[in-house]
Amino acid sequence: MEIYLQFILLGIGSGVVFAALALGLVLTHRASGVVNFAHGAIAMYVTYVYSSLKDDGAYPVPPLPNPFAIVEGILSWVGITVALPDFPTFIQMGDEWPWWAAMLGAVITAGVIGFLFHYLVFRVLRYQPPLAKVVSSVGLMLILQAAVVIRFSNRARNVESLLPNDGVDVLGTTVPMDRFILFGLMIAATTVLYLVYQKTKFGIMTRAAAENEQHATLLGISADSIAAVNWIVAAMLAGLVGILAAPITGLNPLNMTLFIIPALGAALVARFSSFWVAVWVGMGIGAGQSLLQIMEIRLDWIPDINLSQGLPLVVIVVAMMVRGQVLPSRGAVERGRLPLALPTRIRPRVMTVWLILMTWLLIWGPFEWRQATINTLIAAILAMSLVVVTGYVGQISLAQLSLAGIAAFMLSSLATDAGVPFPIAPLLAALVATFFGLIVAIPALRVRGASLAIMTLAAGVAIEVFLFKSDGWLAGDSPRRVADPSFLGIEFGPNSPFWFGDGKVPSPAFGLFVLLVLTGCFIAVIRLRQSMLGAQMLAVRANERAAAAAGVNVQGVKLAAFGISSFLAGIGGTLTAYKFGTYSMESFAILASLSLFAFSYLGGIATVAGAIYAGTLYQQGIGTLAFEKLFFDLGRYEAYLAGIFLVITALVQPQGIDVFDRRERRRIAWGFMVLWRRMTGNPDRTKPEWVTRIYPIYPKPQEAVAEAPEKVPAEVGEGGGGS
Amino acid sequence: MSAVLHTDGLTVQFGGLKACNEISLDVNRGELLGLIGPNGAGKTTFINAITGFVPATGRVLFDDEEVLGWVPHRIAHRGLTRTWQSLELFGDISVRANLEVAATKLTPIKAVRDYFGSSQRVAARVDQTIDALEMHEVLNARPDDLSMGYRKLVGVARALVADSKLVLLDEPAAGLDRSETSWLAEKLRQVIDYGISVLLVDHDMGLVLNVCDRIHVIDFGKTIAIGTPEEIRTDEAVIGAYLGSSGGEEQ
Amino acid sequence: MSERVLTLTAMSSGYDNTAVVRDINLHVDRGEVVALLGPNGAGKTTTLGTISGIVKLMEGSVEVMGHAVPKLRKAHQVAQWGVAHVPEKRGLFFQLTVDENLKLAPGLTGPTDKAYDLFPALKPLKGQLAGTMSGGEQQMLALGRGLLSDPSLLMVDEMSLGLAPVIYEKLMPMVRQVADETNAGVLLVEQHTDLALAQSDRAYVLSHGDLVLEGSAADLLRDRHLIDAAYMGVEELDSDEEIDCPHCGKTVSTSATHCAFCDLALPENGA
Repeated sequence: MEIYLQFILLGIGSGVVFAALALGLVLTHRASGVVNFAHGAIAMYVTYVYSSLKDDGAYPVPPLPNPFAIVEGILSWVGITVALPDFPTFIQMGDEWPWWAAMLGAVITAGVIGFLFHYLVFRVLRYQPPLAKVVSSVGLMLILQAAVVIRFSNRARNVESLLPNDGVDVLGTTVPMDRFILFGLMIAATTVLYLVYQKTKFGIMTRAAAENEQHATLLGISADSIAAVNWIVAAMLAGLVGILAAPITGLNPLNMTLFIIPALGAALVARFSSFWVAVWVGMGIGAGQSLLQIMEIRLDWIPDINLSQGLPLVVIVVAMMVRGQVLPSRGAVERGRLPLALPTRIRPRVMTVWLILMTWLLIWGPFEWRQATINTLIAAILAMSLVVVTGYVGQISLAQLSLAGIAAFMLSSLATDAGVPFPIAPLLAALVATFFGLIVAIPALRVRGASLAIMTLAAGVAIEVFLFKSDGWLAGDSPRRVADPSFLGIEFGPNSPFWFGDGKVPSPAFGLFVLLVLTGCFIAVIRLRQSMLGAQMLAVRANERAAAAAGVNVQGVKLAAFGISSFLAGIGGTLTAYKFGTYSMESFAILASLSLFAFSYLGGIATVAGAIYAGTLYQQGIGTLAFEKLFFDLGRYEAYLAGIFLVITALVQPQGIDVFDRRERRRIAWGFMVLWRRMTGNPDRTKPEWVTRIYPIYPKPQEAVAEAPEKVPAEVGEGGGGS
Repeated sequence: MSAVLHTDGLTVQFGGLKACNEISLDVNRGELLGLIGPNGAGKTTFINAITGFVPATGRVLFDDEEVLGWVPHRIAHRGLTRTWQSLELFGDISVRANLEVAATKLTPIKAVRDYFGSSQRVAARVDQTIDALEMHEVLNARPDDLSMGYRKLVGVARALVADSKLVLLDEPAAGLDRSETSWLAEKLRQVIDYGISVLLVDHDMGLVLNVCDRIHVIDFGKTIAIGTPEEIRTDEAVIGAYLGSSGGEEQ
Repeated sequence: MSERVLTLTAMSSGYDNTAVVRDINLHVDRGEVVALLGPNGAGKTTTLGTISGIVKLMEGSVEVMGHAVPKLRKAHQVAQWGVAHVPEKRGLFFQLTVDENLKLAPGLTGPTDKAYDLFPALKPLKGQLAGTMSGGEQQMLALGRGLLSDPSLLMVDEMSLGLAPVIYEKLMPMVRQVADETNAGVLLVEQHTDLALAQSDRAYVLSHGDLVLEGSAADLLRDRHLIDAAYMGVEELDSDEEIDCPHCGKTVSTSATHCAFCDLALPENGA
């Protein structure tokens, strides 16, 4: 029996981190209504700063854009290699810092990060819909994670323990002392915070602003300043606990970042409001995971399904099922709106040019271009799955690649193990992904916004932990294989022969096959936008209640969207499987899902053409390759830049690149036209029809109506463009 | 039975608060009934309860069928539709598509047939409504680009287009200036000519007195008057409740 | 001449780029009680919100205590200039106790005793959550909090809403008392015309977002039918003439400044 007690107590180590992160989630949610997915990443980043200062006396400078890098790249076209100055990567200050100084430096860094997150990002997004906030916090998480990988590489880093870890005998078992100290510190910190928020004027103001921001404003309370303080406190707490617990939990760029998941579970149970519940549940999850670990080893009756890793997900799902919409509303008005779902028109000329370009790249392009094009096309299909569920229906799904993975592993079981022939095996595999997508959707029907993002994130991790790590048909822990597809005797996999080209991998035959599938999906999703079902989806997105009152079966439409979306993700998954031939779950990890979501938003999440942009920019796609060919090797900077562009997109151009492109080119042209008229003394200031057409993208009804020469405002969709 | 809608003791309770207390009223077929009462009397809650958005107790007979407890979209398909005080139009799709969404009862089979382009669209009904309300010029605009008056009209059209027997209008004149209000009033009278019944909730006494056939005045759970506009205009109790010039209001 | 605490000049404001109130000219001096009357939906609450900076000012100007009203994001400054706004739903925090609610009064440094002196009924409820109190107690708390900060301009929105007559008839005279004793300007939004006019010096009447009537309380009480007309829309129905819009040819009322169909400006007086 003692061993179970021992493991429970050992689990407090990670439990304290979960508790601190959960507490931080509660604080930041209260302060600005944001579920900060980057909170674990803050703890991770700060711990790296601490470790670098303490061991090497070096302060890591976050990667900054260096204009000289472009100059170097351009000079290299003409064969000149120069080394222009660059920002320092580290600021060296002595050899080793004493632990307290390193900790001070790191915790101040945490405070600055918290403040900047609030001031630069979430303050600006206050009135935006949850989608923009979720996207931004995912982007910030990618930035912090990539920054650490750039500066410290992917390897785990050893952090020396600050706390004494001599064994203490408790009830017949021995547990290191640091667990008890951490526990005590956490309880003390929570007590202090609790008293501050209960008794001081600042605490009362915070609670008031969280309950109703507008009423607080009427009393002269600046919700912005209140939020800033809360963000700083939350980030410092996360950093501090990260530093203290890192020797126990271990430190690498991924593990502490993903501690956000158990922390989200604890915060959900606490309804994002109670400090004590968050802290106790956080510690409970840590202790429970540790206990389940030993039980799985020692007890035969415990099913071997990775229960210990799955515990946070069980907590999240149960909390959601029992409590439904658990995020408390903050009495703040949402003034922003979702990205416009402009219809993408099939424009034969643009499409023909694009198809010819793609075909040329796929057949006669060099090896790396063929590979990049295939990556782009598959990513575009995966992005389309997000266009349907997030763009059209407004439901945030962070599990798309996990669903793709289901199809990929199912394909291996069907095609390789069971010998099911080509068109049936991938289609069946995609249908299995659809089935799991619907299972995810059923509990998701009750929640929306940030809650749904949490839910789907948990679902993604659950698929990873319970399905991919099991031994069944969907196993993905060890490499799975699938042979090149062939139909009616024709092979079209990456290794298949082809009449033209250099005869090397990847075969143009496979590329053309992917292009064909993408074109099919492209037309199908455009058609969906024009169909009645598509109109109903957009109605649900605009307002669920109003849609229901207009006779729309909201739940049915949502299910349809999740189904179609998972099917598309499944198609993307099977193509990914064919692309690799041999693959495992790393290709479908949860972080890759987040990054897919990021790129889809960047490209334009509500339009089909946006998915093509997303694919073009996606990691190892055409965009990256072109950039590297032209300028310099992106390498580890790719994810970092993606995160930065994602946050900037959410802040200044939530429409994404597609709609940005459609609008901006007209605005720029109109600007030149005005200039020309001024220069030539033409007094005419009436806007031509192609300028007024952009009004649907700037919905300012009064101006639009007043300025337009005709009495009826511009028509929908004529702003249509894209490929 | 001549009443298209009959409610009996309809009560909505949020915690300890009765948001709508035992409202009993009848809407006769083909009439435009006005429902007025002071702020907080539970008029919007009443509409929410009938259309299935908040749980309620009591009886709601619509077209001789008990609809209390039905899900909202089923009630809409049955022919009982509504508008929203805050409009809630579908901002991303054209006015015409707004109407089409409301006019279609989409089953999975219909959705698939429509997707492959082989189903009969609801064009006829949509066109009829557009003709009736004379709103051809805004058909292809997005609702967000319209003036407030037109947006209200789209809201009304969306409620009418679903082959409704009864339309519940929640504050259609809120946010409109006077000329827009009188224009909307004219449109509402046209609706009645098509044989649809209307329950109008509005604070604008001018509009209500002008267009309604009959007016039902409630005040915190009790009916204080029912009658024609002329009767209501001179009713002491009503003037009291609305202007506070004499008693008449109790909690 | 007494100091002016509030001046609205040709003010238009609203939501989502749609004006709810248009072209409002209004002022409040120190020591006077001004009633803002009108039927529901006329734009009274929007007007107060614009003065407090929480509703977007679209045209014209709002000057509060000599400052121009700030942008939405800086709206909290208005309270710090000495404006107490008791909103329609009373603006209480239901999850805070009575005393905590009082402590939030802007600029309050000392104890909260003054509010308990004004409303002794609140004293025994000190530790109770505001959400569990009766409507009358909540209104007392809201007023008490508003007065704790010694405002120069007090704005009260629909004090009588949802309250029994015995309660609001007792609360209403307090605003008069505040104006007389502390020399604050009071702007009172009410649906209960008589009740409000009895306590006011002057009044404005809003209808459909336009200012349709203004005058001294005494004059308006004498000419009650003018207010009744504004409320019931009687005058409007009787006197409205119609013209054809020169832009789109549809029939519109002469009282409108803009065509309801094409939104273009109409000629003055149908000329």
